[in-house]
Amino acid sequence: MTTTEPRPSIRTELLESRPVNLDGFVEEWPEKGLVAMESDFDPAPSIRVEDGRVVELDGRARADFDFMDTFIANHAIDVASAEASMAIPSAQIARMLIDPGVSRGEVLAVTRGLTPAKVLDVVKLMNVVEIMQGMQKMRARRTPANQGHSTSARDNPIQVAADAAEGALRGFAELETTLGVLRYAPLVAIALQVGAQVGRSGVLTQCALEEATELELGMRGITAYAETISIYGTESVFVDGDDTPWSKAFLASAYASRGIKMRFTSGTGSEVQMGNAEGKSMLYLEIRCILMAKGAGVQGLQNGSISCIGVPGAVPGGIRAVAAENLVASMVDLECASGNDQSFSHSSMRRTARLMPQLLPGTDFVCSGYSAVPNADNMFAGSNFDTEDYDDWNTIQRDLQVDGGLRHVREPEILQARNTAARALQALFAHLDLPAISDEEVEAATYADSSNDYPLRDVLADLKGAQSVMERGITGLDLVRGLETTGFHDVAQSLLNVLRQRVSGDLLQTSAVLTPDFTPLSAINDVNDYAGPGTGYRLAGERWEELKKLRHVTSATNPETEVG
Amino acid sequence: MTAATTASDRTVTLREVGPAGRGTRPDEVVVAVSPAFAGHFTKTIVDVPHVEVLRQVLAGIEEQGVTARIIRVFDTADLAAIAHGGAKLSGSGIAVGMLSRGTTMIHQKDLPRLSNLELFPQSPLLDAPVFRMIGSNAAQYAKGESPQPVPTRNDQMARPRWQAKAALLHLKEFECIQAGRPAVEVEPVFGRVGSRPLA
Amino acid sequence: MTPVDPGRSPARLVVGVDIGNSTTEACLAVVAPEGSITHLATDLTRTTGVKGTPDNTEGALKAIRGALARAGRSAGQVETVLLNEATPVISGLAMETITETIITESTMIGHNPTTPGGEGLGVGTTRSIGELGEQQPGEPVVCVVPHGWDFDDVAATLNAAVAAGVDVVAAILAGDDAVLVTNRLERPIPVVDEVSAVEKVPLGMLAAVEVAAPGRTIRTLSNSYGLATVFELDPVQTRQVSPVARALTGNRSAVVVRTPTGDVTDRRIPVGELVLHGAGKTLRVDVDAGAEAIMEVVGRAQPLDDARGEPGTHVGGMLAQVRDTMADVMDIAGQPDVPVSEIAIRDVLAVDTFVPAEVRGGLAGEVALENAVALAAMVRTSRSRMQLVADLVSEGLGAAAEIGGVEGEMAVGGALTTPGVDRPIAVLDLGGGSTDAALLTREGECTAVHVAGAGELVTKLIDSELALGDRDVAEGVKWFPLGKVESFFHLRHEDGTVEFVDQPLSPHVFARVVVLTPDGPAPVPTRHGLDHVRRVRREAKRRVFVVNALRALRQVAPGGNLRALEFVVLLGGSALDFEIPDMIADALAPHGIVCGTGNVLGTEGPRNAVASGLVRAHAALLAEEARCRSR
Repeated sequence: MTTTEPRPSIRTELLESRPVNLDGFVEEWPEKGLVAMESDFDPAPSIRVEDGRVVELDGRARADFDFMDTFIANHAIDVASAEASMAIPSAQIARMLIDPGVSRGEVLAVTRGLTPAKVLDVVKLMNVVEIMQGMQKMRARRTPANQGHSTSARDNPIQVAADAAEGALRGFAELETTLGVLRYAPLVAIALQVGAQVGRSGVLTQCALEEATELELGMRGITAYAETISIYGTESVFVDGDDTPWSKAFLASAYASRGIKMRFTSGTGSEVQMGNAEGKSMLYLEIRCILMAKGAGVQGLQNGSISCIGVPGAVPGGIRAVAAENLVASMVDLECASGNDQSFSHSSMRRTARLMPQLLPGTDFVCSGYSAVPNADNMFAGSNFDTEDYDDWNTIQRDLQVDGGLRHVREPEILQARNTAARALQALFAHLDLPAISDEEVEAATYADSSNDYPLRDVLADLKGAQSVMERGITGLDLVRGLETTGFHDVAQSLLNVLRQRVSGDLLQTSAVLTPDFTPLSAINDVNDYAGPGTGYRLAGERWEELKKLRHVTSATNPETEVG
Repeated sequence: MTAATTASDRTVTLREVGPAGRGTRPDEVVVAVSPAFAGHFTKTIVDVPHVEVLRQVLAGIEEQGVTARIIRVFDTADLAAIAHGGAKLSGSGIAVGMLSRGTTMIHQKDLPRLSNLELFPQSPLLDAPVFRMIGSNAAQYAKGESPQPVPTRNDQMARPRWQAKAALLHLKEFECIQAGRPAVEVEPVFGRVGSRPLA
Repeated sequence: MTPVDPGRSPARLVVGVDIGNSTTEACLAVVAPEGSITHLATDLTRTTGVKGTPDNTEGALKAIRGALARAGRSAGQVETVLLNEATPVISGLAMETITETIITESTMIGHNPTTPGGEGLGVGTTRSIGELGEQQPGEPVVCVVPHGWDFDDVAATLNAAVAAGVDVVAAILAGDDAVLVTNRLERPIPVVDEVSAVEKVPLGMLAAVEVAAPGRTIRTLSNSYGLATVFELDPVQTRQVSPVARALTGNRSAVVVRTPTGDVTDRRIPVGELVLHGAGKTLRVDVDAGAEAIMEVVGRAQPLDDARGEPGTHVGGMLAQVRDTMADVMDIAGQPDVPVSEIAIRDVLAVDTFVPAEVRGGLAGEVALENAVALAAMVRTSRSRMQLVADLVSEGLGAAAEIGGVEGEMAVGGALTTPGVDRPIAVLDLGGGSTDAALLTREGECTAVHVAGAGELVTKLIDSELALGDRDVAEGVKWFPLGKVESFFHLRHEDGTVEFVDQPLSPHVFARVVVLTPDGPAPVPTRHGLDHVRRVRREAKRRVFVVNALRALRQVAPGGNLRALEFVVLLGGSALDFEIPDMIADALAPHGIVCGTGNVLGTEGPRNAVASGLVRAHAALLAEEARCRSR
């Protein structure tokens, strides 16, 4: 029988069914800013300095500055070196970025005088491999690290504590949480802190909330750092959020006044997503954010599109732009927590490819939120990687001999850490007269995967308990005291040591993390010294032995058994 | 990929009947639509035809015995402004605001603009039955009843699939804004493809 | 501990501690040798662990330290800690439905869609809308519309059929489209919609559809003779359809289809017998006989030694479930488990309730209020473990700790510190699991009883009768007065008064029935109006607390005569309820009893009675010793 009906080939049907075709892709629209980084509507680089003042920035005279221009001109650009730096051809700066013979410091001496358009001009010249090469050298901290999310779809504090403990044990240097029901925050923030210190002493924690509460939890020492202070690349988006660069800088100084580590958050795509890109490319606007962060004096930035990843992910060259925005943060001497923290694609292949520009060169935090809980429990709306991907991640690290900050940990150690975390939280809640945690919950936490594996909590009682934490003025020191009196001496000691950083202020240094013995590791004492093959951070020695371990590796001595 | 909606041969045009005024009937709900709704655009982000969106919202209102008035806004594509503006013109103080891509909100005149009674932000998850329930709930609010909020759905993978298209539709809708042009009351003229709508 | 020589210590610092089901209370006082008491401070904290278990130690210590801190004393100064002998009862709850409504052969659609269409009665033969075109003119037709039909298409099809001479007299729709369709019909007919299982409506049968005007109820189909008229029934058949008429009473719309053997039955579910052992007798009662019959039999088996249910029946399962829970509570780690068979149920409270349940055989998710019986049961536990708590408290505080006395007697002692009361005095402790009564006669004799059923049962009744499915919401309904948010700026309280607010109320409470919590209004997720919720709440409290108050007081009153009581003092957490004390007082007033909420020490309200009673009893003991020595 013949048919004139057009019909798809069997192969087309197969391709249609591939997960990648569930992703959305759109054509560019540069006039509206729906374009990654190559747009005719971006301004040309220019600068004019008069009497120690920038009077022209990227083709715009001071009289025509919007407040972003003003802030960047006044605070982010080194007027002394600006005209000289701007005079260097972009290609030469790009070459400096990838040339092992040019030190990181020499590059920084140039980038501190560059305007947003000039920075864009430089990175536009670089392909993805060059961007990675640049990142390898410009990353602030020599030792790469990773950050995890520990959240719960039911805001269950016991789950958050247990998953934080496991995550810390697996290697996350920072752990972040947030809430479904915001009023739960104090209990969950406490749980995150306790779990993290049980898993590995010195892990830093934060709780993403509206700015006032987030600051209060930080000031009380219930959390150790802050990250969700969002900034935007256009004045109109800033104004929509009732904010300015100055208000954000003020908030940053509030954290600094208490010795609390903090970084801003920005990313490509947010402005066009909100319809206020003012006709500029996503990367140009992101570079303005990066320089604004620099000008505000914060030590670091979380970027890599973050919650708008679906936008650059849908346009041509979008993921190259995302890699470039990470590089720009690093090349102006900011700590970079480099994204990979939001659900990005239906395709596992695409998810992995999107990771390579950060994993391969290494960044300060490869993920600014690897989901240390199943994605269904991830209250940041899902991450690019979650607990199901742990073994894949470890294998990729081993295959390519790169350090993505995680490691394989044997089951008994994990169960031990999860159990201890739940018990410590149980004791602490009892000590603080917070809603009781039952032995069944501790047992569930030891073996659970998701929030569905835990007994349900009495939410009303928990919310009252959470409120009482705020009303009674409970601080980090109360947590230390409670852990100490209930017999969790080691956890108490760890938390106390983390709190002591407030006084020394060492965590205010660029890209600081704490080692298990509470040595701050930052761009001051662990500065990235990459200078070509054989230099810089190398995955070797004890750490490499650790990363050789996987769940199943056949023993060479006795192939009938497995090592590990 | 094909969209998960049934094809419809119905059509709608929104015919202007005059400037949008304040309603006096306490039993009316205003349906306020964005500049490009059922005009420049004809369907939502997941291809639900605007004619169906409108028919279902109106049906939900009518089934509750409440009347509806449709208003087209020209000078903004901001959903909260559209819905709140509609609520202020509504005799009952209740309005349903809708964007072309499907994002919908039920608003009340006494609420601050940035608040709402019910918000349906995930436009890819809104289908005809949901639009019917939205209309029904808006009408029940107008009657002073206590409807159960329309269940909202969530899909973490909506971001990779729809985020960019949503941004694109948003930009296009913004293109259709006519600054300073006041809102008008419109009358829906429903028809069928191939047949001439009755005038 | 080194015992303190009484001779060397003229005044002793003692602290009474009452470990209750939910709160632990302490009363710190100085007792002079001759027995006079100076109260220093009280404290209240949450009970840690299940009452009567070693876990209580932590809460007890916390309350003691709290009271010490308030009085500016140190633990070292405490001479004796007095602990209550915890009421040796724990309680459990179970609920079982005892009726079910079954519709056979899809004879009736008795649900109440919120928006039916049209008005009046239509009688005809059921036909699917798809077959309407083949229908001959003349015969009256009830049109049945399956899912997937658009309202515009339905209306157009019906109008076309009528134009062609088909006598469409009514319609039955799957979707929520009745008003939409009737608004588009050229000839109005009654329409019933939201019949979710419309495909089960038998076609080709005689059917009647009735819709009443808004605010009215149907008149014909809810009347047996109306049904007889419509379907031309003889007296025997009329008798058969009378359950149908009854089931439709109060509806605004209904459909009845006449099928050869269709029926609606209201079946009692055999749930089994409750077997009561007590007073040397063994009595049996069918649980489906209802609460009144059960309580009558329970009354005859007093004092109850045990209650069991027939194995394999629902009631057997109910009581087994209660027993299992209690065995779990009583189990001590490291010791052999308490054998379930040794747990004796010493009191039972049965309460009639109803559960909204979907009708079996219904076509539209019809809901009928089925009858149910809720049982609260109470078990006596061994008393040995309070000594363990005392030992642990003693160790933790570095002071002697002893079991000070029976809880009921101590409560009476504490209640006596309420201004305006005197012997004979009865106390009613309205707790979570049990309601306890104790009487102190003029002569100083004390009797105490515990009866099953208290606050937890009230919560459960509210939860199931309002179909909330959320214990927390039910607790809120129990504890707080209701209101209706009428606009963003005002709400109407349950007593009809209106309160205006300055700040607009939150959108999530707009137009809703709310409970007025201290943190502001919280919505009650129900379609019921405020009056209904209020009625359910008050009825639940009455059926548990008023019934139990009378039951418990009769057991302690001399000769069971309530008139022999003079003062009744209400204590316990539920005595803080905003209406229960008034309800009990109203019920006791006809018996000439002064009843009110206690005010222990004149300052503590209904709290701290047992703890202060412990101190009083201890002081009395010291005074007695002093008198003995002086003699």
